Amino acid sequence: MKVLIENDSRRLKQVSRELIEHLKAKGVHEDIVFDIHVGFEEALRNAMVHGNRNDPSKSVRVETKIEDNAVVISVEDEGEGFDPSVVPDPTLEENLLKEGGRGVYLMNHLMDEIRYENGGRKVIMTKYFDRKHL
Amino acid sequence: MQINVEQKGEVTVYNMSGDIDINTSPEVKKAFDGAMKDKHEKVVINLKDVGYVDSSGLATLVEILKNLRAYGGKLKLSNLSDKVKGLFEITKLDKLFDIVADEEEAVSSF
Repeated sequence: MKVLIENDSRRLKQVSRELIEHLKAKGVHEDIVFDIHVGFEEALRNAMVHGNRNDPSKSVRVETKIEDNAVVISVEDEGEGFDPSVVPDPTLEENLLKEGGRGVYLMNHLMDEIRYENGGRKVIMTKYFDRKHL
Repeated sequence: MQINVEQKGEVTVYNMSGDIDINTSPEVKKAFDGAMKDKHEKVVINLKDVGYVDSSGLATLVEILKNLRAYGGKLKLSNLSDKVKGLFEITKLDKLFDIVADEEEAVSSF
């Protein structure tokens, strides 16, 4: 799937649903599908809310590729980019009551490989179908 | 998202059904306005029919907890699926929230 979507959380759910249906149809284990579901939506949410700052005139470029044993997902926004290494660790006791940082943290934990390009505007994540985390 | 509120003695129980995510979080937050205004002290959120929570949903639950604690209220979460419980464990929110197995235990353990 290669698609340019509007900066709209309803579209976020639509593209996520599409990918999940494909993965289920392929027979991917439900625990792995759940991890991908969370990781994908967090990447889309970061792109729309933090990258594009909820600007409806901006778009998010999404590419998903289902291979034999993995899915590769790329999400790119039109924002100013960010440095993922400076996102505070939300699991530290002093940050538990804070709102932010959990999206990136969940992506890092639930996906097997994750890298950023284009100054943090683009995230590329891989999840293998035969590894289990949760 | 469906939210039903039940009063069980002194305990207010919120039964949630659906995803708690970027689209439904504002609705979830709003559903607690009444309890916050009336300073309900014992609150249970039953997540039995919630299959998916994203980081917005987790942040919303943290905010509800903070608001309740501000006036001395207590919150318990019950009936989490293994997958949703896993998200609380990964983010260490299981240390922050009082998570119990089922609603009966939640209501009787205040």
